[in-house]
Amino acid sequence: MKNFLLLLKQNPRAILGLSILLLWILLALLGPSLLPYSFSQMDMDNQISRPGLNGHLLGTDALGRDILTRIVYGSRSILTIALMTSLFSSLAGILIGFTAGYFGGFWDTLFLRIMDIVMAIPPLVLSMVVLGILGDSTIASLTIIVSIAYTPATARVARGALLSCKGSEYVDAARIRGESDFYIMFVEILPNTLGPIIVEITARFAYSIMMIASLGFLGVGLQPPTPDWGMMVIENKSIIREAPWAVLYPSLAIASLVIAISLFSDFISKVMIHEK
Amino acid sequence: MKKILFALVIFVLGFSTANLFAGGEKETEDKMVIRVAEQVPNLITPGSWDGQAFSMNSSIYEYLLEMDAETGELHPSLATEWSTEDGKVWTFKLRQGVKFHNGSSFTSEDVKFTLERTQDPDLGHLKAQDFSIIERIDTPDDHTVIITLKSVRPTFMYQLTDYNMAILSSEYDYGKLGESAPMGTGPFKLSQLVPKESALLVKNPEYWEPSLPKAEELRIYFVADMEASVSLLEAGQVDVVPQVSPVIARRLTDAAGFKVVSPYQEHRFVALVADREPFSNNDVRLAMKYCIDPQILARACQGVLGETFFYNETPILNRLAQFKEITFRGRNIEKAKEHLAKAGYPKGLTVELYYASDHPYGSELAQTLKELAAPAGINLDLKGFPRDIYLSQYWLNAPMSITGWGVRVDPSMLLTLAYHSEGPWNESHMNDTEVDDLIDSIASEVDNAKRQSYYDRLQELFVERGTVLNIQVPYLVAMRSNVQDYRQPATMLCQYKYTYIE
Amino acid sequence: MEFFKRFSKRLGFMFVTLAVMSFIIFLLVEIMPGDVAQTVLGQSATPESLKALREAMGLNDPIMVRYFRWAGGILKGDLGESFYMRGVQISSIFWRRVGHSIVLALTALLFYVPLSLFFGVVAGVKAGKFTDSVISFFGLATMALPEFVSGVILITIFSVSLKILPITSVIPIGENLWQNLKILVLPALSITFVMFGYVSRMQRSSMINVMNSDYVRAAILKGMPRGYVIFRHALKNALLPSITIIGMNMGWLFGGLIVVETLFGFPGLGSLTMSAIKTRDIPLIEACVLFITLVFVVSTFITDMLYAYLNPRIRFKGGEA
Repeated sequence: MKNFLLLLKQNPRAILGLSILLLWILLALLGPSLLPYSFSQMDMDNQISRPGLNGHLLGTDALGRDILTRIVYGSRSILTIALMTSLFSSLAGILIGFTAGYFGGFWDTLFLRIMDIVMAIPPLVLSMVVLGILGDSTIASLTIIVSIAYTPATARVARGALLSCKGSEYVDAARIRGESDFYIMFVEILPNTLGPIIVEITARFAYSIMMIASLGFLGVGLQPPTPDWGMMVIENKSIIREAPWAVLYPSLAIASLVIAISLFSDFISKVMIHEK
Repeated sequence: MKKILFALVIFVLGFSTANLFAGGEKETEDKMVIRVAEQVPNLITPGSWDGQAFSMNSSIYEYLLEMDAETGELHPSLATEWSTEDGKVWTFKLRQGVKFHNGSSFTSEDVKFTLERTQDPDLGHLKAQDFSIIERIDTPDDHTVIITLKSVRPTFMYQLTDYNMAILSSEYDYGKLGESAPMGTGPFKLSQLVPKESALLVKNPEYWEPSLPKAEELRIYFVADMEASVSLLEAGQVDVVPQVSPVIARRLTDAAGFKVVSPYQEHRFVALVADREPFSNNDVRLAMKYCIDPQILARACQGVLGETFFYNETPILNRLAQFKEITFRGRNIEKAKEHLAKAGYPKGLTVELYYASDHPYGSELAQTLKELAAPAGINLDLKGFPRDIYLSQYWLNAPMSITGWGVRVDPSMLLTLAYHSEGPWNESHMNDTEVDDLIDSIASEVDNAKRQSYYDRLQELFVERGTVLNIQVPYLVAMRSNVQDYRQPATMLCQYKYTYIE
Repeated sequence: MEFFKRFSKRLGFMFVTLAVMSFIIFLLVEIMPGDVAQTVLGQSATPESLKALREAMGLNDPIMVRYFRWAGGILKGDLGESFYMRGVQISSIFWRRVGHSIVLALTALLFYVPLSLFFGVVAGVKAGKFTDSVISFFGLATMALPEFVSGVILITIFSVSLKILPITSVIPIGENLWQNLKILVLPALSITFVMFGYVSRMQRSSMINVMNSDYVRAAILKGMPRGYVIFRHALKNALLPSITIIGMNMGWLFGGLIVVETLFGFPGLGSLTMSAIKTRDIPLIEACVLFITLVFVVSTFITDMLYAYLNPRIRFKGGEA
């Protein structure tokens, strides 16, 4: 841990990324209680108001709602969904990838082929079709469907990680001891593969944010008036000339979060992988 | 290798720059061409046409009667005369010498076909219910149609102006060709249709009015995004954009070279469905009504209350002759809570509100209603869906809904369809004997004064215990200043045959 | 010989993939909730007319029968009839849109491939220095922007300020895409941003690896001019991984087309897919998704083969890379 902090200090970009991420998390947790408005509150005297005027730091949209407030509330749903997606898909990926890699042979080949096939549909298209036909997106449906779309990729990483450990001595030792396969996979191998897996989780986190924002943009985000960054962009696009800030700020929010996570993910990748 | 890459980079940059300045719309060689950018239509065959995107169909098809855009009076179109003695038997004399675009002659057979088609069960014709009152159609000769109704309907001729009642040729297979090759008797005929992208219409040389249409060509671009359509208008690539938002209208009115007209208001009915919880109890309906602040609704739609935006609690539009001015009850959260408590909901309630998320104003109205109702304890759970899915899956089954209704010039048609207990599109499931009686009386009453008294009583009833909130939203058409004589009456059928460019 | 064996094995697998995918897509779309007949006939439909329509559409047949009917049609080139727009053959709209999307995808490729490879190489060669930092940061920033964000920013710039490029992709009546190439620019640029970031970063790290490899360092130590070493030795090997990345991202690119085409109103496969989903036009959805999958599978296959061909280790020794 101390080693980790030391390495972190040497990497200004990672610090930047981590700080932005922590800032967003802080905003998501505490922001709503600090803000004077609710995200659906309509200030009809100040519709499409410029940033800085009348108590609206980032301006208002066509319905007079405070954009800063909506962005802060929006961060909650997007962080939650993205985090859950990256965790679920990684979990599912580990289960599937480990099983395939460990038992090898027929199962492994079958697994590889199936994953290849499922990965043939771009995740955005798959999610869009399913959510579009279902019609009504909730936090649950978004999480589940995007997780399913991402699982093949994480499964491959997990499998790769397991394969590199499979031939190690401690695995042989455990086998000789008579431990069950399950034990070997999850008690012996898993801790040693955490490096690439954690890198994968952080990378998935960034992709999830982009995916969820894109789905919101395509109209299958959370139902209004719940703020959804992607939907805020498309909602306000029609007044882009009168109120460019209504589109700009949600876009910057998305970009900053993804950049932050990517910077941190880069760093983690350097640390975890080079530690081998 | 690096050199190759470098060369590629230069090529790419050069290629893109070259194309920046190439292309663009060709000069139209002195032909008068009207270019329109409007919404992407879904289905366009009359009978299935859901009233989006009027430019194409209203130019290709024609109707028995046409409405004057200024006065609202009915003028002869494909029918030259119409009369009835008892309101039950209607005689129509048809225009002679009219040809369909494919050359076949227009006769009474075509009118009969068009009307009988509404009752075809395999078609799902949107006017099936409206025209189920026809008992019999006789065609004594090629230019006379005698329609016998099952009951007296003094205002029956208005039904023939409905946009789905385009006169079709009995010899044309609209089932197969209606979507890809629409064909009628109109001033413009279809030259080329790229589904969901564009349509090229050219002047019908055999049109029955030789001096019309004034333009040679009508080019229609289907553009999903309103902002995109307006950018085409501003770039000079189109001349007319039907349906722009008030924000854009303001921008264009301020800019030079454009003008915005407001032919009518569209309406959105909020249905408080009366045959199930919670709105089965009139107190709950009244509670909802006490939450409304029309001023805020108007602002949410960027309209001005009393000018481009109207609100009332009956199905009658403010600008119609039948409208009766009733003082609005005003927003009163205390009273709303009282009514809720009386109905057995002292702690408030939750109800799902279904609406079409991609229909203009749908989303704004839904969210504003939610905000307005919240302080009284009424929690509206919003469920927005794309319009087609909303209309086909949810609309008639929802406990509360927002729906855009096409303007029906004669309100009795709307009342019979939507507020009579046996009406097929009774979205609010209203079932009130007094209301039913009044609607029936209105439909059959010949005397104008008496009919108006029924209308008055009906509107009072609706305010007392009705199931609808009537929101009338701005409908604005933007165009370049040199476009003259754009006409669009309340039937929504734009009349491009009169339009010309200076 | 080894290469040929690999080729046929992969080709065979490609067909299997397509067949299985087509079934999965079919299943996925057909078992979705919502009554198709109801969507077509609307709410005022009577139960009899709904039943009749379902019968006419063949919806009452068992699912395997329906699948083979559809698949058989596809193989013959018949994409079926649109559920939503009665009487309209899907083929009549589909191929035109596909053509447009292919041109858009190729334009995007034309933009981002040279740019990202070039800058990736430069960043790799000058690793650690200022140029590298600038390029890397730019790459990271653009990679973090979903396509619709970069698209919206481009629209703002070009519609509000510069006004030289059209922000909506309308083809004037009577003309075709080739006469209106400028409508491709902004949509292609939006895609380019994201792809640039990704590929340039890959290219950079690949370049760094190669520059640090023994034979390159040896060559430089031997006294050969640096530029020469870069051109002649390093580049060839550094570019190889990027080819894989570019190929594999084709599928991703086609997914991104949905967003970009919707944003700009570009008449392509992406926007067609969107409107198919919005109207629950089942056969159209199936046709669109199947084609997107086809593109991805074929491009993966071609990339694989290209990689195997160019990588001497595989070409001559025939091992799994």
